[in-house]
Amino acid sequence: MAEEFLVVKDLHKSFNEFKAVNGVSFSIEKGEIFGLLGPNGAGKTTTIRMLSTVLGADSGDATIGGHSIRRDAEAVRRIIGVCPQDLALYEDLSALDNMVFFGRMAGLNGDEARAQAMTNLELMGLEDRARGKVAKFSGGMKRRINLAIALMGNPQLLFLDEPTVGIDPQSRNHIYENILGLQKKGMTILYTTHYMEEADRLCQRVAIMDGGQIITLDTPYKLKSQIGSPEQVTMEDVFLKLTGRSLRD
Amino acid sequence: MKRALYITLNEVKLYLQDKGDLAFGLLLPIVTFALMYGAFGGQTLFEATAVIVNEDGGNYSTLFVEQLDEVEGIDVELLTATEADAKLERSDLLLALVIPAGFSETLASGNKAELVFKQRGNGGQEGQILASIARSVAEEMNQEFQVRDQVKSNLEGTGIPEDRIDVTVQQFLEEERGQPAVGVVEEVVGGSPDFISQFLPGIVTMYVLFALALSARTIVEERKRGTLERLLTTRLSANELFFGKFLASVAKGFVQTLILLGLSYAVFQLFTPLSFIASLIICLIFAAAAAALGLIIASIARSEDGSVWIAVVFTMVMVMMGGTFFQVSEGSILATVGKASISTYANDALRTVVAEGGSLGDTVWQLVVLAGICVVGLAISRLIFKVLPGSK
Repeated sequence: MAEEFLVVKDLHKSFNEFKAVNGVSFSIEKGEIFGLLGPNGAGKTTTIRMLSTVLGADSGDATIGGHSIRRDAEAVRRIIGVCPQDLALYEDLSALDNMVFFGRMAGLNGDEARAQAMTNLELMGLEDRARGKVAKFSGGMKRRINLAIALMGNPQLLFLDEPTVGIDPQSRNHIYENILGLQKKGMTILYTTHYMEEADRLCQRVAIMDGGQIITLDTPYKLKSQIGSPEQVTMEDVFLKLTGRSLRD
Repeated sequence: MKRALYITLNEVKLYLQDKGDLAFGLLLPIVTFALMYGAFGGQTLFEATAVIVNEDGGNYSTLFVEQLDEVEGIDVELLTATEADAKLERSDLLLALVIPAGFSETLASGNKAELVFKQRGNGGQEGQILASIARSVAEEMNQEFQVRDQVKSNLEGTGIPEDRIDVTVQQFLEEERGQPAVGVVEEVVGGSPDFISQFLPGIVTMYVLFALALSARTIVEERKRGTLERLLTTRLSANELFFGKFLASVAKGFVQTLILLGLSYAVFQLFTPLSFIASLIICLIFAAAAAALGLIIASIARSEDGSVWIAVVFTMVMVMMGGTFFQVSEGSILATVGKASISTYANDALRTVVAEGGSLGDTVWQLVVLAGICVVGLAISRLIFKVLPGSK
């Protein structure tokens, strides 16, 4: 049996009367890419914020690499990397400066941070733009830098919160290839996205959230099988069948 | 601790990239200093124009006008009686020196002549000084006549020609003016209680307080660009984040004071080396107190506009209460209320050193208060950050 690297048990979080996360439980195996899907307001980002120790949970707990997010948040932060939904960059600084800075925050010394920054920039196809100001980068380049920063410090678990929003197919494909490459190196990844074909292509298992709860969790193949022939049914069909067609603005 | 320093370094890098902040931080103190120099620079001597109505036109009245014109800082403007009267009537002029007709003739005949000061009211402060200078010039002329008369009377009957006596006496008096029996030596002791040294502390503390507005934005900016949340998922602790931001704010505030004090030292020569170092230490502690208060605002504010407004209002209240642009009388209500302003303690400490020639030891009480504000401010800001959502 594969080692469970992330174990979430009955996690709850409310904002005043609104239950954003309502008893979420799941686990992710080491080296797995796990998709967390759901319409807007389903509680995906709140779950990731709690797991990445930014937001405290009301009740329940989760362990990452054996460390509790509630009791040992510091140890958790040593082994995670977060690529947030919105770009989180210092646009006035160069790509290299951004990466070295976050590398140092991740515990690397100056030489290590610079070396790792160059490796990750190369991985993202941005080594030629290392000294360019991020403000002058295209949307796709910024997204790739956003992801590259999350890799600084070689985290064991990577949270990717909609890393491909608003970019062209080329950049998106480049990011997919990188994510699969990271998995091959043994990295565990929790991935949220609104692009269902992404989840189908990348994730070994997906959980679909709605109303703060997980309403289903299985492999993309099995989920598609539940409503028809897996070859003809898409993940989007599964998603719409389970979460409905009403707008969630 | 290392990570706190990286936060500081990163903040400084961002500061150097932001042209607006950089202009505010570095150029504005230089511009302010240039204005100060323009207003008060160089030797602060009395300068005025003496309006003279010369109704006499003779040798001695011309000599009087020439001697007055030779006084440093005095320019002479000759008007007719009608012009002077019209100016006095319109209050364009507060004092005119009138040399009456027959002035030279009276003096030549050995009698006493008189000058007339025609003035509105008391002639104004400038007029009074001018009148005083004119009196001393007239007094000098009187003394010359007295010496000349005395010499002539002593040499009467010796057959020495009168014009030779005049020339010899004139030479003697000129030598005497060049080497006066009673000279004046200027000895500068400590700071000078002049306009600049009175106002410089206020200007410096105001700049440090404006830097508070910059530090108040620091957390909001991180929040806005999403980097705060990202930082909070790294090994960086909230304490390190705060300390790093605090050091960066202190540095920003201190650089401005360094520019202002450095230029004042170099150009106005307001300081001795010791008083300069003492002033820098006071400014450093004050910048630390202001930065800590800025972090309280930064922890509370949720928008950039909000943080700047709170900081600006806070700064203006502190500046007004702290006697930045005016001296607050001891025992007045403002002096009591002003004790609630951090500017008061910084201004008092700086004035003690800059204007009164005091040492750092004379400002211990103020420095202890400022250091206390710094420590309490840091603790409160950290507490607020912990309590409010979005923190560790």
